[in-house]
Amino acid sequence: MTERASRLAPSHAAAPPGALTPAQRVTLFLSRIWAWVFLGVMVLFFVVAVPLTTGGSVNFLTVRNSQNILVAIIPVLLLGLGQTFVIIAAGIDLSVGWVMSLASVLSALALRGAFNSGVPLFPSVLVGLAAGVGGAALVGFVNGVIIAKLKVPAFIVTLGTSFIVRGVAYLMSENTTVIGLPADIRAYGNDALIYHIGGEGGGLYFLHRPEVGGELLRRMDIILPYPVIVTGFVVAWAMFLLHRTQFGRHTYAIGGSMDAAVRSGIPVDRHIIELYMLSAATSGVAGFLSTLRYTAGSAVIGDPLLLSSIAAVIIGGVSMFGGAGTVIGTVIGALIIAVLTTGLVMLNVDAFWQFIVVGTVVIVAVLIDQSRDLIMARAGGRVRR
Amino acid sequence: MSEPLLSIRNMSKIFGGLVAVDDVSLDVRRGEVVGLLGDNGAGKSTLIKCVSGVYQAEEGEIFFDGAPVAFASPMDARRVGIETIYQDLALANNLDVGANIFLGREMKKRHLGGLVQTLDDKLMLKESRQTLDSLQIRFPTLTDPIENLSGGQRQAVAIARAVYWEAKLMIMDEPTNNLGVPEQHKVLELIRTLKDRGVPVILITHILPDAFAVTDRVVVMHRGRKVAEKVTARTNAEELVQYMVGAREDAAA
Amino acid sequence: MRKTSLLAMAAGLVLALASQGAEGAEKLKIGFLPGVVDPFYQVMQLGVEKAAKDLGIDVVTQIPPTWGVEAQTPLLDAMVARGDLNYIITAPTDKDQMVGPLQAAVDHGIKVITVDTFLGDGNYGTGPVKFPLSYIGSDNTEGGRLSARGLAKAIGGKGTVYINSTNPNVSSVEGREKGFKEEMAKDFPNIKVLGPDYNLDDANKATQQTAAVLAREPNLAGVFGTNVFSAQGAGAAVVNAGLGGNVQVVAYDATKQAMELMDKGTVSLVLAQKPFDMGYMAVMFAAADAAGVTSLPRRVETGFAIIDKENVKDPAVARFIYQVPGK
Repeated sequence: MTERASRLAPSHAAAPPGALTPAQRVTLFLSRIWAWVFLGVMVLFFVVAVPLTTGGSVNFLTVRNSQNILVAIIPVLLLGLGQTFVIIAAGIDLSVGWVMSLASVLSALALRGAFNSGVPLFPSVLVGLAAGVGGAALVGFVNGVIIAKLKVPAFIVTLGTSFIVRGVAYLMSENTTVIGLPADIRAYGNDALIYHIGGEGGGLYFLHRPEVGGELLRRMDIILPYPVIVTGFVVAWAMFLLHRTQFGRHTYAIGGSMDAAVRSGIPVDRHIIELYMLSAATSGVAGFLSTLRYTAGSAVIGDPLLLSSIAAVIIGGVSMFGGAGTVIGTVIGALIIAVLTTGLVMLNVDAFWQFIVVGTVVIVAVLIDQSRDLIMARAGGRVRR
Repeated sequence: MSEPLLSIRNMSKIFGGLVAVDDVSLDVRRGEVVGLLGDNGAGKSTLIKCVSGVYQAEEGEIFFDGAPVAFASPMDARRVGIETIYQDLALANNLDVGANIFLGREMKKRHLGGLVQTLDDKLMLKESRQTLDSLQIRFPTLTDPIENLSGGQRQAVAIARAVYWEAKLMIMDEPTNNLGVPEQHKVLELIRTLKDRGVPVILITHILPDAFAVTDRVVVMHRGRKVAEKVTARTNAEELVQYMVGAREDAAA
Repeated sequence: MRKTSLLAMAAGLVLALASQGAEGAEKLKIGFLPGVVDPFYQVMQLGVEKAAKDLGIDVVTQIPPTWGVEAQTPLLDAMVARGDLNYIITAPTDKDQMVGPLQAAVDHGIKVITVDTFLGDGNYGTGPVKFPLSYIGSDNTEGGRLSARGLAKAIGGKGTVYINSTNPNVSSVEGREKGFKEEMAKDFPNIKVLGPDYNLDDANKATQQTAAVLAREPNLAGVFGTNVFSAQGAGAAVVNAGLGGNVQVVAYDATKQAMELMDKGTVSLVLAQKPFDMGYMAVMFAAADAAGVTSLPRRVETGFAIIDKENVKDPAVARFIYQVPGK
């Protein structure tokens, strides 16, 4: 430091303003990892409690159970991924559940139509994917345009479009379902990468379900179903997009300060439209995957999932005011919800308890988020906003 | 006398029925610090927002570096080298120093033959550190979000951002508001550093001691009109106050 | 078929109890996964639990919070993952979409008995879906016909009527709609049938939908609510419009609300199913199957009690009203 600078430096010799005390650093670190810890503790609890209450006949930590949980988180996680981006940018998308339903219906109709006109199975599936995700992205585009250009609050716009999408999904379906899909697509929605049959006569099989029956079939474990792999790729891509690219950086900036983003020359309007298209597209993938799983399109399938997706996002540490959050956090949030449901069934406790626990965890998450805010503000000598 | 870097000719800006800027002309030469004075509502902020591309003036012309210019957006103004530091600094609290300095102009690394681009955080951090060092600004850490920095430190980040992008003209809107005394000194020093580097500064302020500390010339506005233009060394506080409150007015300069 | 199947069941029961005692065999564990929370399934649960108690069987019960495959499947998957269930008794919430998940349960060695609703076409012997052990439920098509006759009689054989239903692609209400329409078309050509509208298991929506129909059809003579929520909601709409007594309502499912509406004169006919029987028999079937019985019928129709103003006080009939002690 030059002499001139030192003359002007603040007189107190304590840590320069903006630095955190070790105690504050530790608290901040804990507040960032609490969801992980909670998940770990919960898993441990079930691992211990389930065998205890069933006299050893049921175990929590089985291959089958772990795969079940991975499959169970898919809809909430995919909806939550898009929601993560949107909420980090200080927006919200209330239409995700219904967009998923619409995508389920669209992909079923397109798949069935293509297959019935002679297109082979796999290309028909791709047609279904394109129709589902494409239709969803279109809804996202409309959401984004109204929010960015007409400046209507996201809460209201996405609420409105959710009703429109719901109506369209009902009308396009045949009394809310679309059936008559080729039975073979069940393989796409339910088959896995690895099949393991333990014990005598068993072995490892890859890519297709082995044609076995009876005892061998009973012992078969399904590992890494294709929908889980697809979701894994989407998660990895979302992580990359949010944390390593300019798109992600701008998303955080818009959420942190819309003013700063605009005046820094970020094309905010275009970015917002892209965000809502992204959110709708991940919901579209979820709808498409559910059509494959149940070999039917359903206009009601996404209905209960909106609130769960928001809960997962909040538990994962995304701030409802924008500017903060991670993809991995949302994954943890979705896992917490799914592990909880599964564990309660295994303990033979009424699954309605999951609602009470999830609600409590959401409130705890927000409180922790707010206390982080307090610590950061105190460190800077500022009054909290 | 060399040609002015920035030349505003007969600029007017009207909002509905309100004339915020009324036929103002102003020159800024390389290496000089011009103070833009006036009471609240005089039109100072509006005038410079027309120069920085936030607003488009209804009447008048702007010449920059000898050529006529029209700015449709803030990015246009930045592109020719006009950097503006607003009162609220336009910083993103949730991002760190490097991210703020490079906001909107992030450095990227190419992969897979240009197909994929990622943020080059390492390079941005290095460049940020260099710029801050050259301005003799010290931060405890550059990788924490800036929300817990003090007011003066945040000003410093905003200034460093403008300096990094090699501003040809710096506009600062009330930079010492809400700052403690040592930090006010620091900001004024940074202005002097900029001047030493040949970067002209338009300094909007209503704090007369600041104007006397760093400016070469002062322009006073009142109710949208330019009412005075003086060489700082040849005027005094009472005179300027009279212009600011509208008790006195020079013929259009 | 009834008589012989009863004998078979009784024999099976005796065998089951005997064999369990003799071999000291492992206790049977059954999962019970109905459709949603409502009085019908609550009474069914009473039947399941009574049978379990009588036969010394453990039951793991999970009730989905909403009607739909997204709510039912995760619970089903978790039950299967437990690894300790021998049978699952369930009311599939969609006759096509639940085929996959339940087939997976069967693959894992769990036998499935469907109650109240069926998979595929309900014919597990020769139909497209063959893996469930049995279907135990009402003959809903016949129930629809009975409702049609009852409503036709109440409105004097002519007029306009309206069907309010819950979810499409669900075998139970689908059968009722079909039977109702068939009967009207066959025997009561002067009656025009509107609907069905689907309220997706939301009584409030049923009320709104019925109110809308009442508003645009001033001469509406009757309403058929195809299950618990439809009947309650539709009845409420009729009462709200002040038409109680003028518009005849036929309700499927004898909930307390339906009976109250009958008291008030809004509902003229209630078709009570026998959910207790369904639950009890399903558990019995599981026990019998576990004991080695192979002649269990693939389809059991549990019958109705038809309740109207005349017999509603008769204890022999009133016992079929869905009551859960303490609720």
